[in-house]
Amino acid sequence: MFKKFDERESISGVLQLKSSVQKGIRSKLVDSYPHLEGFIDNILPKKDALRIVKCHDHIEIIVNSVGELLFFRHREGQWMPTLRLFHKYPFFLPMQQVDKGAIRFVLSGANIMCPGLTSPGAKMTEVPKDTVVAIMAEGKQHALAIGKTTLSTEDIAKINKGIGVENCHYLNDGLWQMKPVK
Amino acid sequence: MSLEEKLQMGPKPGLAYPLQVIYCGNCTMPIEYCEYYPEYDKCKQWLERNLPDEFEKVKIGDEANESGGGEEEKKRQKRGGKGMIKTKKKEDGPKQVCVSRAPRGKKKSVTVVTGLSSFDIDLKVAAKFFGTRFACGSSVTGDDEIVIQGDVKDDLFDVIPEKWPEIDEDLIEDLGDQKR
Repeated sequence: MFKKFDERESISGVLQLKSSVQKGIRSKLVDSYPHLEGFIDNILPKKDALRIVKCHDHIEIIVNSVGELLFFRHREGQWMPTLRLFHKYPFFLPMQQVDKGAIRFVLSGANIMCPGLTSPGAKMTEVPKDTVVAIMAEGKQHALAIGKTTLSTEDIAKINKGIGVENCHYLNDGLWQMKPVK
Repeated sequence: MSLEEKLQMGPKPGLAYPLQVIYCGNCTMPIEYCEYYPEYDKCKQWLERNLPDEFEKVKIGDEANESGGGEEEKKRQKRGGKGMIKTKKKEDGPKQVCVSRAPRGKKKSVTVVTGLSSFDIDLKVAAKFFGTRFACGSSVTGDDEIVIQGDVKDDLFDVIPEKWPEIDEDLIEDLGDQKR
């Protein structure tokens, strides 16, 4: 999603959000990530003026008043956390672990293929299709990508071929490189 | 930590959130991923300079890998095309701030400051700062240009190093008077 993203070219505007919309986003986030509940006040303080950065290709990014990038989404999809945020609160997404061999491909933006999730070094937590997941790696502590499952974990194990998780945001992509928005 | 525990959702007891993750200054990724970066050597140099403790750990890990996995490395077929693309580095051109004076009307002048962005300074903030400091108008006029209304060129040589210690007075160049 952010492979060819460039903060200078891809941003079309920054919008201040209405407080009613902010409330909507907060409740939506808590709905989709129940583990976030105790921490949502730290991430999105109630009084904070949130902004939304509109980018090309129907991408929107939530930015707090300091300018940190928090969540992003594509069209009307689910809000997904940026990796920087997820590194701070690494518990609110289901995590899938890929084996060592897959790391370099994931880091260059490849989607996660089923065999990388089913081999001995890998580990899956059970999720249905179209869930936002964090991609961890064998022997590493931090997440290296945020993705969305295209198959349920059951199917991934059964079919074991093709794309299992769509790579939405990975280390060193355009979004990761993006500086805080002023 | 066992694997099941690692992938468990929900905040872990005994940890204070938000966690602080150490990022490499060269490749910006968490340091455990440096080895996948094309310029791993530079990352190592950076680590050695900035975080000697972490560097020791990485070194030990590396040696362990080398002794065991040398043979395997040769056999394995290399795939994956270009691998990760290097992040575009900002050009480390000459870091220099240029100040000059440009006439405005018959007897008034403005001061033009260029080159501040090569020091990673936010121009908008800088312009605001100059405005309040000299009690005058100040605006960002170009890609890397600030125009301060009034002739404050001489003051800038003191003010800039004071505000941004990374800019030495010698790095500020006086371009003299310029025609508009």
